Amino acid sequence: MKRNPLLTVRHALAAAAAGALMWAPSVFAQNTIKIGMITDKVGIAKAYAEPVAAGVSFAVKELNAKGGLLGRQIELLVEDDQAKPDVSATVARKLVDAGAVFILSVSLTPATQQAQSVTKESKTPHMTPSNSGDTLTTQVDNPNFWQTGPLGSTQIATLLSYAKNKNYKKVALVGDNSDLGQLTNKFFKAGLESAGIQIVAEEVVPVGATTADPQLQKVRAANPEALFMTGIVTGPNLLILKSYRQLGLKTPVLANYNMSVPVYMTAAKGLIDGVTFVDAFDPAKPATQRFIEAFKKDAGTEPYNLNGYGYDGIMLVADAITRAGSTDKDKIRAAMQATKGFKGVMGGVDATYGFAEGKRTGFDTNGMVVRVYEDDKQGKVLHVGSK
Amino acid sequence: MNDFLELTVGALASGCIYGLVALSYLLVTRPTGIINFAVGEWSMLAAFGGFLLLSKAGLPYPVGIAITLVAMFGIGWATERLTVRPLVVRGAPPLAPILALLGMLVVFREVVSLGFGPDPQPVPAAFGFGRLELGLIAGSYQSFFIIVVSLSVFAAVWYFFERTLAGKSFEAVAIDRRAAALMGINLGRVTALAFAASAVVAGLAGVLVAPNVSAHYLMGLPLAIQGFTALVIGGVGRVEGALLGGLILAFVEQLTVRYAPVPPGLAMGVPLVLLIVFLLIRPTGLLRAREAQA
Repeated sequence: MKRNPLLTVRHALAAAAAGALMWAPSVFAQNTIKIGMITDKVGIAKAYAEPVAAGVSFAVKELNAKGGLLGRQIELLVEDDQAKPDVSATVARKLVDAGAVFILSVSLTPATQQAQSVTKESKTPHMTPSNSGDTLTTQVDNPNFWQTGPLGSTQIATLLSYAKNKNYKKVALVGDNSDLGQLTNKFFKAGLESAGIQIVAEEVVPVGATTADPQLQKVRAANPEALFMTGIVTGPNLLILKSYRQLGLKTPVLANYNMSVPVYMTAAKGLIDGVTFVDAFDPAKPATQRFIEAFKKDAGTEPYNLNGYGYDGIMLVADAITRAGSTDKDKIRAAMQATKGFKGVMGGVDATYGFAEGKRTGFDTNGMVVRVYEDDKQGKVLHVGSK
Repeated sequence: MNDFLELTVGALASGCIYGLVALSYLLVTRPTGIINFAVGEWSMLAAFGGFLLLSKAGLPYPVGIAITLVAMFGIGWATERLTVRPLVVRGAPPLAPILALLGMLVVFREVVSLGFGPDPQPVPAAFGFGRLELGLIAGSYQSFFIIVVSLSVFAAVWYFFERTLAGKSFEAVAIDRRAAALMGINLGRVTALAFAASAVVAGLAGVLVAPNVSAHYLMGLPLAIQGFTALVIGGVGRVEGALLGGLILAFVEQLTVRYAPVPPGLAMGVPLVLLIVFLLIRPTGLLRAREAQA
């Protein structure tokens, strides 16, 4: 059977047009620097992941408005891992395949841990700007991964530095049964024990409980000089505060950085006055004030510490790519590891980010601050650092 | 001793909440055989109703609660009409409505998550935040309120099933659906009313517990698990079994945490061990359902 030459030409033209259409986006894509962000939009980390991700998006917008990086615009590729480790690894692979030169994990600690299996194998630079679990950079030997959230060990060291003059001898620990809550509890316990402080009660309020009365009764019976809150889920923390008030406890409360999230000012109204908490956000710091004004102008709402973690995270990435002068992953990795003295919006006035030789945790161990709730509002910074 | 009596009030209140959720399961399971795991999400929806009407709109407590419960009646009714009845009419296998209701669980949760965001929202307590002391017995105002309201609801539901003709029709459907239909009982109406009443009871549990745990889009699943455990312990067939199961579960939970010499992490597993024990030695629960009488 003889072929119609006109049809052949048409087919060739159609194929060429289709090829051109498929090629066009890749040309566009080559003109951008792709940065992946794994976040949680529906899972249990959503409450924290959303504001951190909003800080990342705002920073990308700001960077692009100033011309982007290396003369190219930043393209933020966002994937939802539902706070599930297996999904996190899958979307990390998707981002690597899509050409991301850097991945930010803004999700649950175990999910971030699992995503490392992909970034280690693909040698893709990867960072979490907000996770605080101490073991994220030690359990997997992944030279492509960094962590800039304030560690649990830094939190307890800062609280103990603040309370040095109290000379606590026996304290209680109350936390929740979440992954990060347990990890935070572990490092708070280690910090207290290494300071020679006896833990006279250690209690867990499970997520989904309807009361914390039995746990707080045990704390009351142990008569500690201070109560350290290590939980990171808002629900159990609210129960702890309610039972604390109902049972008439007067022991000073010192809480981990979860208590610095502003939701407590409304959800724990009338319960939180006098609670001391460790934070990484000083609203009086000039750089932080500039960030607050710019974010407010853009989003219409006042930012808080979680937005700042995301903002600083992408700024650290941008700094590394600029210093690398290239989107080559090896060069970015080397530049990120060489980060020193980077000043961000988070931390006390003199706090800087940087990675010591052989370390991949970058939050300044002397950069956290201590604040106290006053009449349901977060008070000003009372103490800086862990010395 | 003081601690024990104080804990008793808290455990009674928690047990009443678990019992109400168990009753919500029972109201649907008994006449239809369907296990509705979305009861926890119904509680969550009502908690957000409380947040909207009491915290946001500032309505008086009884008005806000009444509107919420009426809305829950409608939601329960609509759930049956839209997701269960079409499957039953088409002769779907018994598992189909259970799966459809699991789907509704996700729908309810995600709608609330998108609408209200991920943060917990405060719901006021009926008499504010305070502590009532009656001699050695002490507890929060809300704990006493939960106990009084829940026991009243259980008494009313028990009276309905045991002493009224309409209640007997539910019981008849529960014992033998075909025979009940032959006696002229409208199975469709009984089923729809069972879902509506179940949603009201679950909603009541939600608005009662919300001042303690706050309204949160993930609050439903733990309540559903606690209620189901209470149902298995107490028995699937009797109103008083739901309450008994809830109270046993709450007392075991709280007394274990307070007094058992086990590490805090292990104490949380004790109620689940209890559930397994009951399933092994008394799978019908403590109280058996009534059988048909010749």
